[in-house]
Amino acid sequence: MGWKIKTATATLLVTSLALAAFAEGENVTINPPAEGSISRQDGFEAWQRIYEVTSHPRCSNCHVGADNIPMWSGPSYGVAGPHGMNINAGESRIGAEYLQCSACHTYREGDNDMPHAAPQVATNWRLPPVEAEWFGKSGVEICNQLRDPDRNGGRDFNEIAGHLDHDLILHWAWNPGGGREPAPFSLQEHVNDVLAWGVAGYPCENDE
Amino acid sequence: MKLLVNGDEREVDVEDDMPLLWVLRDELGLKGTKYGCGIAQCGACTVHMDGVAVRSCQVAAATAEGTDVVTIEGLGMPEALHAVQDAWIEHQVAQCGYCQSGQIMQAAALLEMHPEPSDDVIDIVMSGNLCRCGTYPRIRAAVKTAATKLQET
Ligand code: FES
Ligand code: FES
Repeated sequence: MGWKIKTATATLLVTSLALAAFAEGENVTINPPAEGSISRQDGFEAWQRIYEVTSHPRCSNCHVGADNIPMWSGPSYGVAGPHGMNINAGESRIGAEYLQCSACHTYREGDNDMPHAAPQVATNWRLPPVEAEWFGKSGVEICNQLRDPDRNGGRDFNEIAGHLDHDLILHWAWNPGGGREPAPFSLQEHVNDVLAWGVAGYPCENDE
Repeated sequence: MKLLVNGDEREVDVEDDMPLLWVLRDELGLKGTKYGCGIAQCGACTVHMDGVAVRSCQVAAATAEGTDVVTIEGLGMPEALHAVQDAWIEHQVAQCGYCQSGQIMQAAALLEMHPEPSDDVIDIVMSGNLCRCGTYPRIRAAVKTAATKLQET
């Protein structure tokens, strides 16, 4: 009994230390570099890593355009093609008009371990808004979309990082399970790159 | 935990993460809902949760708690068939029958959303329900007949 209480106290201590360290974000540290500390060149290099993430199948398969048809692509699929079963998420982007994404991508707490099963997280599965179309788009197109408040949900770099901190579907991209290849880098590294890119002034390839 | 299934409150002693399909078939003896794949690929296990079609092999029992679950056994009664069941008999849709309770549950949910579905809408919504016997043309025809029946009532 005694050791259990001690363990509990120690856990509490560790947890509160961790909370202090992670005060800026719940799942990642959101600690933007000081203003002026990131050159445009370094910011652009951060962007190129961001593009590796946004163009990865774990992200781009759902970041699809106005046909609202998610994709199946990536090393585990062979040839890229539309989501099987004639799936169409509709303008609602959650399948409300047809078959809800959550009919199969149901609520789940914990890891996805079953190959070929529908990925599941502890929130309603859905496609991102159509403005954030990434599938098949070039780096320069995605870069300009992500820095455009009219097409990124009105977010600055801190708010994009906050979105990455909170959205459980995004977290899944780095822990997809079932033999799927995770998105490159880590969630924390990706957040750090978003912050560095923003502090550097959101450089994109088409800037002079 | 307590589950509301076909209007009856049922007490079951199961792990939180037991698939609803297992609970329905093995705990509650409702064998109309079928197991095909267990990984959301076939649709044989389709039931309604709060009126929405879901794959019961993918729903944890704890997630179903507090929702209104309807299975094929609760959709209609032999003496008062649901319009979809009626249309299914009229068109003699079933071949081996294994996929059919899932097809019927999905079709009933489809008609709630689209009282007059086009072929395209039927194909989008019903394509997640596989039929190894290939009854698809009869399914499409029966969905249209059921739509007409529902409009008449
Ligand atoms: S058994 Fe659930 S989708 Fe196949
Ligand atoms: S009727 Fe045999 S699988 Fe559909």
